[in-house]
Parts: sequence; C-alpha cells; structure tokens
Amino acid sequence: MDWPAFLPLFLTAAVEWVEAFTIVLAVSLTIGWAASLSAAAAGLGTLAALTALTGGALSLGLDLHAIQFVIGVFLLLFGVRWLAKAIARQAGLKALHDEDAEFRETRAKVSKGDWFAAWLIAYKGTLLEGLEVWLVVVAFSLHSQAWVSNGIAALVALLAVFVAGLAVHAPLRRVPENAIKFVVGAMIVSFGTFWTLEALAGDVWPLGDWNLMVLAAFFLLGGQALVPIVRGGARGVTA
Amino acid sequence: MKAFIKTLFGDASNIAGVALIVAVAAGLTGLGHPAWAVFAMPAAGLGVVAWLARH
Repeated sequence: MDWPAFLPLFLTAAVEWVEAFTIVLAVSLTIGWAASLSAAAAGLGTLAALTALTGGALSLGLDLHAIQFVIGVFLLLFGVRWLAKAIARQAGLKALHDEDAEFRETRAKVSKGDWFAAWLIAYKGTLLEGLEVWLVVVAFSLHSQAWVSNGIAALVALLAVFVAGLAVHAPLRRVPENAIKFVVGAMIVSFGTFWTLEALAGDVWPLGDWNLMVLAAFFLLGGQALVPIVRGGARGVTA
Repeated sequence: MKAFIKTLFGDASNIAGVALIVAVAAGLTGLGHPAWAVFAMPAAGLGVVAWLARH
C-alpha cells in the first residue's frame, strides 16, 4: 500500500467523481438510470483500459529518470492549475464551482438532444472528469509501482461519491470542493516539484522524502498568503 | 480531442508557466548549482501559481 499517495489520490478522485456524478444524475432524469449508468460504466471502462495500457507500456524498460521527469512535469501541469484556480476562487476572482448550475446546464443540453446524444454526454462527462484521476493514478503508480493500491484509492472515492449521491439523489453540493482542490493542488505541486528536480539533478533534496512535507506546507501556506495579494491586485487593475 | 488535450495539459499559459518552472530547475542544475534549485524551483512554482490565479 502506497500510503503517502492515498490521500491525494482519494481527494483528487472524490472531487472529480462528484462532478461526474452530477452529469450522470442529470442525464439519468432524461434517459433513465440504466442507460445513464451504462454510459458512466463505459467511461470508467475506457479509463481502466487506458490505465492498464499506460502501465504496461511505460513500466517496460524505460529509464527511471526519464519517467520521473515526465511524471513530475505532468503533476506540475495539473497541480499549478488546481492551486491557481483554488486561490482565484477563494479570492473571489472566479466563481465557485456550482454543482446545481452544472446540473441545470446538463439537463438543458440533454432535453434538446436524442437518447444517444444524452448517453454520449454522460460517457464524455465521466471520461473527461476521470482523466485527471487517471493522470494522478498513473503518475503515482509509475513512481511507486503500487498500481493496485492506487487504483483502489480512486475506486474507494468513486464508491463513496456514488453511494452518497444515490442516497441524496441530488447533486453533491455540500462537498467543500475548493478547500479540497486547494489541499490537493498544493500536494500535487509538491510531488511534481520534488520528482522533476530529482530527475534533473539527482539526490539534491536535503531532507530526502521529508522534503515533500516541507514543500506541501510551503505551497499551502504560500497559497493562502497569495489569496489577499491576488484579490488586491485584481482590485488595483479594475480600479 | 480538444477537451482531452486541454484536460491533460491545461491552456497555453499553464504550459508556459510550467515550462518556466522546469527551465529554472534545469538552468540552475546545468550551471552547476543544483542546491540553489531546491529553493528557486518552489519559489518559481508559487510565482507561476500567483500569475495563473490572476489570469
């Protein structure tokens, strides 16, 4: 079990599955649960196949440093985006993600289209939201080779979100999505920074793996400190 | 396909920001100062995050 990876994986997956569930729920009201869930299952199947293919292809005979560099850069691409969005939302520069609005938009889309168009919306929604989960699962697994436990973390999150969603039968609007994205963004940028530099320069981190904790604290506290600065900067621009 | 690519890589400013972070790390390592990169790379990362948050 790769415990250091479990929390970021679980939280990343939970946030993405909440968004996927909202789309699947909206579509289910038009084409029924069976068809909507079959679209979600097809999306998840595509992601599982993608994970297996990636794992098989990238685990074979590639230079560890090259893999670590690619993983690090991908995590940076993903993490800085999440952290920046979370800061912008906390600073009030960007609207908080609204599951109710997402639900209404999807309902409006599917009510205009036919059965297959609605099915495709649920399939594409699950696939695209799950793509970020796939990215993080692959990144952590290539490093630790803990494919099964990392896959389980994503599946536990999926189960938790779908059970909660089916129980309330409504979009999961009470999930503190921005706070989760803030924490996960900081953790993923930390892993990306650590692995990219290790791939480029070798064992340069003075505290070894403990530097991950230091980096996570740096990005969390630094990110929080940026909120008023970013808010103030935007006021200055608009004034 | 466009949505797929954007989900994986983000938009142009995201890619440019990460390229800058990697360039800082690679530059300092290439110049023989990898220990400086331990401090410069996280600082560059936070700077890029601040820049992206304002875009």
